[in-house]
Amino acid sequence: MSKFITHIVVGLALLMFTFSSCKKEEFGPQCKNCEENAITPSIQNDVIIVNEGNFGFGNATLTLYNSTEKSVHHGIFQQANNYPLGDVAQSAYYFNGKIAVVVNNSNKIELIDKTNFTSIATITGFDSPRYFCPVNSSTAYVSNIFSNKIDIVNLTNNTISGSITTNSNWTEEMLVYNDTAYVCDMSNNKLILINTTNHQIIDNISLGIQPNSLVIDKNNNIWIMCDGGFNEANAQLIKFNPNIRAIEQTLVFSDINHSPSDLIIDNSKENMYFINTHVFKMNINDTSLPTSSWVSNNGEVFYSLGVHPTTQEIYVADAKDFVQNSTISVYKNNQQLSHQFQSGINSGQFLFLP
Amino acid sequence: MKLISVIFTLFFVQTTFGQLLNDTIKFEPFVIEEFAVSATYKTTNLDAVATKSVENLAQLLQENSTVFIKSYGSGSLASVSFRGTGAGHTRVLWNGVSLNSPMNGQIDFSLYPTPFFDKVELHYGASGLIDGNGALGGSVNLQNSLPNFNDSAKSVKLNYNYSIGSFNKQIHSGKVAYLGTKKWFYETRILHSEAENDLVYYNFAKKENPEEKLQNAALKQYGFQQAIYKKFKNQTVGVRFWYFNSDRNLPSTMLVDKNDETQQDESFRLLVNTTGFKNKFSYKISAALIHDNLIYTNKLIDVNSKNNSLLMDNHVDVNYFINDKITFLNKVNVRHEQAIADGYNNEHKRFNNSWLTGFSGNFKRLNWTVFNRMTVVDDFFKPIAPSISLGYQLPKLESVTLKAAAGINHNYPTFNDLYWTSGGNPNLKPEEAKMSEAGLKYQKAFGKTTITTENTFFFAHVSNWILWQPSAGNIWSPTNLKKVENKGFESTLTIKYKLNKVDLSIRGNYAYTISKNINLPKNTDDALYKQLIYVPQHQFNSNIKLTYKNTALSYGYYYTGLRYISTDNNWYLPANYISNISLSQAIKLKTTTFNLRFQVNNLFNQTYQSIAWRPMPLRNYMLTLALNL
Repeated sequence: MSKFITHIVVGLALLMFTFSSCKKEEFGPQCKNCEENAITPSIQNDVIIVNEGNFGFGNATLTLYNSTEKSVHHGIFQQANNYPLGDVAQSAYYFNGKIAVVVNNSNKIELIDKTNFTSIATITGFDSPRYFCPVNSSTAYVSNIFSNKIDIVNLTNNTISGSITTNSNWTEEMLVYNDTAYVCDMSNNKLILINTTNHQIIDNISLGIQPNSLVIDKNNNIWIMCDGGFNEANAQLIKFNPNIRAIEQTLVFSDINHSPSDLIIDNSKENMYFINTHVFKMNINDTSLPTSSWVSNNGEVFYSLGVHPTTQEIYVADAKDFVQNSTISVYKNNQQLSHQFQSGINSGQFLFLP
Repeated sequence: MKLISVIFTLFFVQTTFGQLLNDTIKFEPFVIEEFAVSATYKTTNLDAVATKSVENLAQLLQENSTVFIKSYGSGSLASVSFRGTGAGHTRVLWNGVSLNSPMNGQIDFSLYPTPFFDKVELHYGASGLIDGNGALGGSVNLQNSLPNFNDSAKSVKLNYNYSIGSFNKQIHSGKVAYLGTKKWFYETRILHSEAENDLVYYNFAKKENPEEKLQNAALKQYGFQQAIYKKFKNQTVGVRFWYFNSDRNLPSTMLVDKNDETQQDESFRLLVNTTGFKNKFSYKISAALIHDNLIYTNKLIDVNSKNNSLLMDNHVDVNYFINDKITFLNKVNVRHEQAIADGYNNEHKRFNNSWLTGFSGNFKRLNWTVFNRMTVVDDFFKPIAPSISLGYQLPKLESVTLKAAAGINHNYPTFNDLYWTSGGNPNLKPEEAKMSEAGLKYQKAFGKTTITTENTFFFAHVSNWILWQPSAGNIWSPTNLKKVENKGFESTLTIKYKLNKVDLSIRGNYAYTISKNINLPKNTDDALYKQLIYVPQHQFNSNIKLTYKNTALSYGYYYTGLRYISTDNNWYLPANYISNISLSQAIKLKTTTFNLRFQVNNLFNQTYQSIAWRPMPLRNYMLTLALNL
């Protein structure tokens, strides 16, 4: 009998060995399709897709797509830097050969070199940053959720140099026009105007419920999309004239369940696109909201939208169940599907590199 | 699959020789079975010995069963799931009373230190219906033992434990039991524990993987339990009160630098019950009041959130022994749930009542149980939720029992699912599971060796699975979205061997679980037919214990296979394999026993994560002194 026991002990020991022998040391979350070799960006037509990942999962990634070669590389930040991008990559902004990626739950901004995707600087100390917007060559603003301020970043030494108190615990997208920053205030349903020279708040303009995105057209009118909250009010698209600081047009969505977002404008600054379950297109001279969709979602979950500055192609991300890789569909400006490819989890923004 | 073949080989070789051991489930009238789950279902029993060597329920299950424990780290939130279901599909009962929060339907297993209960029984799949609705995966039953009132042994028993370990951990626990004259019984249990949990880890989320110390992870727990029982001729009446308080800081993931979150939990649990029998009836009547407070704070974003819930849970269980072959089962549960939270517009209340009727019995070598649970929750009336199980002892091979079970159970949406502002969806339907299992149990003694093995295949469908996803205005909202198929295999093997003064015991548990989406709103979705996230396909644990006189050496090995963390299975957490070793020495004086135990956890210093980017402790130590009077 004791021989039998010996056999069992040896058997179990072997078994444990089988379970312990592992190909290579892997620590923490692993991504199967992410890039393992160094990537060189192309000269032109590169698109960076910012993939939020899931809150707490630390699986935010950057996808590199080349629209000429139709090549896709996943997880390029991790490959170039040997550490993950962070937790929830909210947005990105391109300026001066650099890409600023706002990593919301890691409370940081990664400044990345456009030529090799290595990190130039990690700006830390934010509370819960959302968007980055340079206001001049040496200064940028960063909007925040859960803190009543806009952070001011010194772009010379890449540190936070100060802040602007806002009264809003959720500031979202921003744009700059004529030394004034226009900031979406999600919590107070306002547009905050900030003087970018002295960083003083000039004015607060009342808007619809939850202004989430804004663009400026060729006539220097600012269009602001208000999603209406969680069935709080009807959504609105507002046309604001910054020169006379007045709302010139308010277009109200007919259905309380509509929750439009991702307002973008093409390179000509004439055609706007937004997501309202489907993709809609609207000319800046239109006096009413489009009644039919430009691209129907066909069961997909449209999560973000981009328009290519030269090809005019529309990029739209399907986030599916939000816990898997998004599929990006590229539509020609005749509404025909031109190409599809996979990106990372919750593709939230398209950055078209010059 | 290698393991399965090993076990089967062992199994089939051994069935061919040796003496027979009886494992008949004997019918014993007028003995009240506290758990009352027929042995024809798959269950796991963890006795006092198992509960003594671990700190809390999460650890106990991690080391002794193949249910999956998702732990945020040492002392942090731990949830348990059975057979590929979710954490909200596991019921936890304390002496028959379901403790699951009506707010999120879950239990934090790190808040149940082992000194507060004596035995744990796990009910898998269809057997969980006996414990109430909601157990779509299974249920965990914590039980406090009562003394044998006829015992003439010592009337006062005292037990004190002191543990000191790595990360400034200190645990005091004690128990005094007094069996008085006239069959009165008093028992007091106390616990105080604290830890800094400032464990050191390598931060793989940062440049050059610096060595860091976990910040903001300290915890403090204390509580007591008081019981008074009185035995009458054919009846026992008792009251038990349990207070528990936990105050902890919540550490962040490796990807977040700044963090200032805390969570305080406070529970008041009062249970009054009586058990007895009269003629051919046996009964158990209980009334319980469970009050939970949870305060979560996040100073960085100025959040201070209060959550209170109150449960009133009443049971009337009556069994009627029709004859010595058949018992009629009848259980009525009147449960009132209420909760108020900062996330609700107002206080929410509901009744969650159910009535179970059925029969259990035996016919020659066949044991059987069949019952139905009728449930009324708010507007939902589910008249049919049946469960059936059969156990058949082979006529020629009495050491082998064939078992099979099947059943249906429903899980009702929680208050958070229904009413959370914003996002709650009042139109949710109950989740439904259809479960089945089949297997065999084998138990045999060969001279000085005893072998027990149980092998079970399971298959289940869970439909209307509630899933939270972003909806309008970026608000997360739940819907009855998923349909999941769970199937797999569970195997346990225990070998006990005795030679002179040496006792050797070897135990192994293995579970193979396939849990996948079988129906999604869109069929192009890459999550279709993929393994669900945080469900390991392979799980294995084993323990080898060698006892010589008063010295015991124990080695435990725990393997958790890779877990996917994205539904398309593109992301995963690598497998981990952890070893613990302990040496204990008992010193017996006249009426006093000292026991000194030294334990090394994570012996081979493995870096691993149970949840993405949450560091788990590297090699760490614990010294325990126990005193029994």
